Amino acid sequence: MTIFLQTLADGIVLGGIYSLAAVGFSLIFGVMGVVNLTHGIFVLCGAYGALIVWQGLGIDPLLGIPLVMAVLFVVGYAYQRTLISWAVARSSLLATLLLTFGVALMLRNIMVLVFSPDIQSITPSYAFSFFRIGALTFDLVRISALGASLALLLLLALVLNRTGLGRVIRATAQQELGARLCGVNVQHVYGLTFGVSAAFAGAAGVIIGIVLPFSPPDEVPWTINAFVVVVLGGIGSPAGALLGGLLLGVASTMTSAFIGPAFPNVMTFLILVLMLLLRPHGILGNAFAGSR
Amino acid sequence: MLTQGIRRYRWWILASAVALVVLLFLPGLMSAFHTRVAQLILMSAGLALAWSILGGFSGYWSFGHTAFIGVGAFGAALLETKVDLGGPAANLVVGLLFAGLVSGVLALVIAYPLLRLRGIYFAIAMLGVSQVLGELVATLDWFQGSLGIVLPRLAPRDIEPQVFYYYLFLGLAVLTLVIGFAIKVGRIGYGLIAVREDEDTAAMMGVPTEAYKIFVFVISAVLTGMIGAAYAHSLGYITGESVFRVDFSLNMIVYALLGGIGTLAGPIIGAVIMVVLTQVLLGDLLDIHMLATGALLAVLVLLAPKGILGSVQGLLRSRRSPPRASKPAAGEAPP
Repeated sequence: MTIFLQTLADGIVLGGIYSLAAVGFSLIFGVMGVVNLTHGIFVLCGAYGALIVWQGLGIDPLLGIPLVMAVLFVVGYAYQRTLISWAVARSSLLATLLLTFGVALMLRNIMVLVFSPDIQSITPSYAFSFFRIGALTFDLVRISALGASLALLLLLALVLNRTGLGRVIRATAQQELGARLCGVNVQHVYGLTFGVSAAFAGAAGVIIGIVLPFSPPDEVPWTINAFVVVVLGGIGSPAGALLGGLLLGVASTMTSAFIGPAFPNVMTFLILVLMLLLRPHGILGNAFAGSR
Repeated sequence: MLTQGIRRYRWWILASAVALVVLLFLPGLMSAFHTRVAQLILMSAGLALAWSILGGFSGYWSFGHTAFIGVGAFGAALLETKVDLGGPAANLVVGLLFAGLVSGVLALVIAYPLLRLRGIYFAIAMLGVSQVLGELVATLDWFQGSLGIVLPRLAPRDIEPQVFYYYLFLGLAVLTLVIGFAIKVGRIGYGLIAVREDEDTAAMMGVPTEAYKIFVFVISAVLTGMIGAAYAHSLGYITGESVFRVDFSLNMIVYALLGGIGTLAGPIIGAVIMVVLTQVLLGDLLDIHMLATGALLAVLVLLAPKGILGSVQGLLRSRRSPPRASKPAAGEAPP
């Protein structure tokens, strides 16, 4: 019973991080219908950014989150306004899949050249402290990571639901033409959405960098995880990402604890395929542009 | 419809026949290295054609076609190592047919549920299928995916292996091309193009969309599986990782897209260009291999979204009739 509860707790903590890593992907998919295969790169940019902040400047990596988010916001905005919008205008939405994949390949190669292919990790002074509740052990870093994830998800939910920017983004997602007729600069909104998405991916990356080791090829699993989370939870909302992330986290820790450590990926994809077949718009299904 | 198709494409057929004759005599004139590159080109062209039969004609882009390469490779390898078929010739024939059968059955099983998904969802579901199969083959002991399987030798002693596999891949590529041609000019081909342009309308007009989609999905899987088995033999030793490779899935799409999607010549042209570029010109620059491939992919999507054939045709057409207004309607904004 203790093992079960411990696995559940670990799964929830991991799931919180998955949620934050996926929420940006979900936003872009929901608003534009673009599957951004560069997403995992944004996540890793956050992790390497935290590494630079921690090693180069000696600042606590968690305090580096605002800086990383600001940089990635600008990068994401520029990326959408140039490459992505050109690709959508010139060919099709499906072509953006290839374009973002190509860009991801390039950036992964550049990361290998700049940071070396070695596995990196960030170990601040509090990295190995933990506390107990009853028989369960909680890693302090992971708990603070979960807290940061939840806080950032809440922030995004507030931005989307309570601010003017959020209202414009939601309007564009629901009806692009309608938003355009009401005087919304749709291309600008797309850029902002991409920026927000990249910023949150970067924030997730900082947290992932503290909790888990990382190396350039890790961008692939982070992109795929994001997709699974989105398909599980539903597109375009922080609540969907949170639900999907928690489910994925619990499913993968449970699988590796009770079926075998080699099987979490199989389980992930099995869940993905089954969800696509049974309920393609996710558990909290408001799909906007992503579903057709 | 077949005779009409042959008449309509007679120059293409003539050119292909000439090319085939040249290809038959080529290995005698080339060094071992160049024969190997040619072998790789033929394999890639065959794979891209097999992908195109589904993806190019019907618009269902599979991002996990390497599932069929892997299933074909492991099907043939397990059969040939566990059952004594008697001699290399029997191994070759039975192995390839069995690989095609296993892939075809797999495709038939997953076809109905998966082909209900459209666009990006179908692409990603196929990616998921290929990943699940790859991981299962690698983790379940019965498949020996992590240990690997040594395949029996196929090439006769008096023929160089690269020459033997050159002809094997040539044969498979020609088979794929012929089947692709028969589908393209037949009733199914027109039905599939209708599906690609607007599936709901096609179904409403009486095109049996479901049956056509499943048919080409299975055909594409069978051909891919057979090429996969041949690839496994040409390697001589396979593991799960060497045949379930995401870059295979991707390359099939890139070749077809580079040459011109929806055509038969396109995937071949794309395969020739990409293999020569990556193997011969970038062979020494392994450090930036991914960078170059990625850059090429991005440039391709941005500059020639219709591929080389599409761009050439567009140029020819605009030269032939320049004054015709081909501008988009004024009110239509790009998405």
